[in-house]
Amino acid sequence: MLRLANVSYAYSGVAALREVSIAVEGGGSLIALAGQNGSGKSTLLKIAARVLAAGRGEVFFEGRRLDEWQPREYAKLVGYLPQEIDVTFPMTAIDVVVSGRAPFLGRFSWEGASDYAKAEEALALCDAAHLSARFLDEMSGGERKRVFLARVLAGAPKLILLDEPFAALDIAHVQQFSLLLRDIVNRTGSTVLFASHDLNWAAAYSERMIVMRQGLVALDTTPAEVMRAEVVRELFGFAAETITRDGRSWIVPNVSE
Amino acid sequence: MNSHGESAAASATVRPLRSRTLWRPVILLTLILLATIAISVSIGAADVSWRAIASGDEIARAILLRIRLARVIVAALIGATLAVSGVTFQTLLRNPLADPFILGVSGGAACGAAIATAAGLARLPGIVPLVAFAGACGATAAVFLLARRRGRTDTTRLLLSGLVLNAFFSALILIAFSLSPQSDLTAALRWMMGTLAAATWSDAALLAVLLAAAMAVLVFAGNDIRMLAFGEDDARARGVDVERVKLVGFAVASIITGAAVAVSGIIGFVGLLVPHVVRLIWQRDFRFLLPLCAIAGATLLVAADLVSRIAIAPAELPVGAFTALLGVPFFLSLLRSER
Repeated sequence: MLRLANVSYAYSGVAALREVSIAVEGGGSLIALAGQNGSGKSTLLKIAARVLAAGRGEVFFEGRRLDEWQPREYAKLVGYLPQEIDVTFPMTAIDVVVSGRAPFLGRFSWEGASDYAKAEEALALCDAAHLSARFLDEMSGGERKRVFLARVLAGAPKLILLDEPFAALDIAHVQQFSLLLRDIVNRTGSTVLFASHDLNWAAAYSERMIVMRQGLVALDTTPAEVMRAEVVRELFGFAAETITRDGRSWIVPNVSE
Repeated sequence: MNSHGESAAASATVRPLRSRTLWRPVILLTLILLATIAISVSIGAADVSWRAIASGDEIARAILLRIRLARVIVAALIGATLAVSGVTFQTLLRNPLADPFILGVSGGAACGAAIATAAGLARLPGIVPLVAFAGACGATAAVFLLARRRGRTDTTRLLLSGLVLNAFFSALILIAFSLSPQSDLTAALRWMMGTLAAATWSDAALLAVLLAAAMAVLVFAGNDIRMLAFGEDDARARGVDVERVKLVGFAVASIITGAAVAVSGIIGFVGLLVPHVVRLIWQRDFRFLLPLCAIAGATLLVAADLVSRIAIAPAELPVGAFTALLGVPFFLSLLRSER
């Protein structure tokens, strides 16, 4: 579905991505893009979302180069949630979510009843139906995250790109949100590619983990393969042990060392 | 923090944002505007009755239609223009403190107009609005470049840039004044104070044409402009051509601000006040706010002009001073509520 071929990108001379090649298949999977801060995760997502244009290399979606896609047509198929959205003026959740239908609207047409129905559905899918009439600035961070996820889902995209969806959430909400992502993949058949610097939560419910380091893909495999003490030591430079519970591996830093 | 069914607001439904929902507030505000215009035309320094006109009194007719009505219509158009400009700047810059006056856009326009006057070009038709427009565009470009850092417009930098630009333009205007022919000085003072005393029907025609064109463009781009409320990256990912939308929006807002300032001089804070008051009542997106701001802005300036005419009649207060008196406390309270 999405294929990056030798993609490089630099911010005013500083390389963020170096010759990255990955392929993401459609048909519903949860893929984590893990790595430390500054490893190139956000840049990769921005390029896939057409927010940035690849400096070098080529990106394909459904076999067509990204610049051959009409921006709106692309936006119907690929949803993107930036790490932070700051809405300057007060807005209710339903207005926020229905704005996710924008790529489907004609130049002069406003959202119709079916757009509102899809927005309500998306809110329900994110366990946020009860927030519909609430204003964003009256919500907790976790609630706001769910509303913005619903906004992405309102367009029913095939590929969903999420930049650090767990950032600024406490552990209970990270858990809740991870399960929510898993659930959405299972129920909608969309493929979710999410960036996270938190190894444990990146691994917890994903089928696949792409680990980035210094603008390169360091590892692209299953979570179980990544979540091993020797791999973590080599990739991230800290000593840790792995605890396995219910078939999931958790990394625990070795603080005594 | 969050759990299901905890919200009492769950049962409250939001009325969907459709073009249909716009009619009620538009009609309501239009009625208020028409009433304000009717009152404003009826009251003034000269005591003229509608009955006198009906009985064929030529002087009464001239006062009411040629002078007072023209002035009221120009006030309405300038109020609408400044409010439209304000709501556009606020949306594009994602900043609640943006307004053509605070950003220095009005100052740039006034500066252009003052320099044209000083150069003796004021008597050539069309020159002053043109130069005012150039000044407005220059100021917009300057404030935009100064306030931008890493793809975002920072509030502090924005306000500081506007402040500095305003000081710079004031200095240029004062220099232009001192070089102006003596006979043009009263006209020149207008750029500084903001007054509608010299309004004519041809001003009204110019403003009406520009405002109509600007509204058409903004409605055309409205679906894209409102997406900027979520940030530029987000808008780009949703298929919006962000650079083009911003260019169109800033150009349109600058052109109409330039025209308004060319006619009336600097009238501050209308572009700040009106969108906020409208937003207090209807918390909706740009497409919804745009027409409402236009009508509410017209109403505010017609009312302000009426007060400035009758407060110490037969003398007049400059309406720009009056709107500033209203706007400054409002601006300060907004600034305090900024994070």
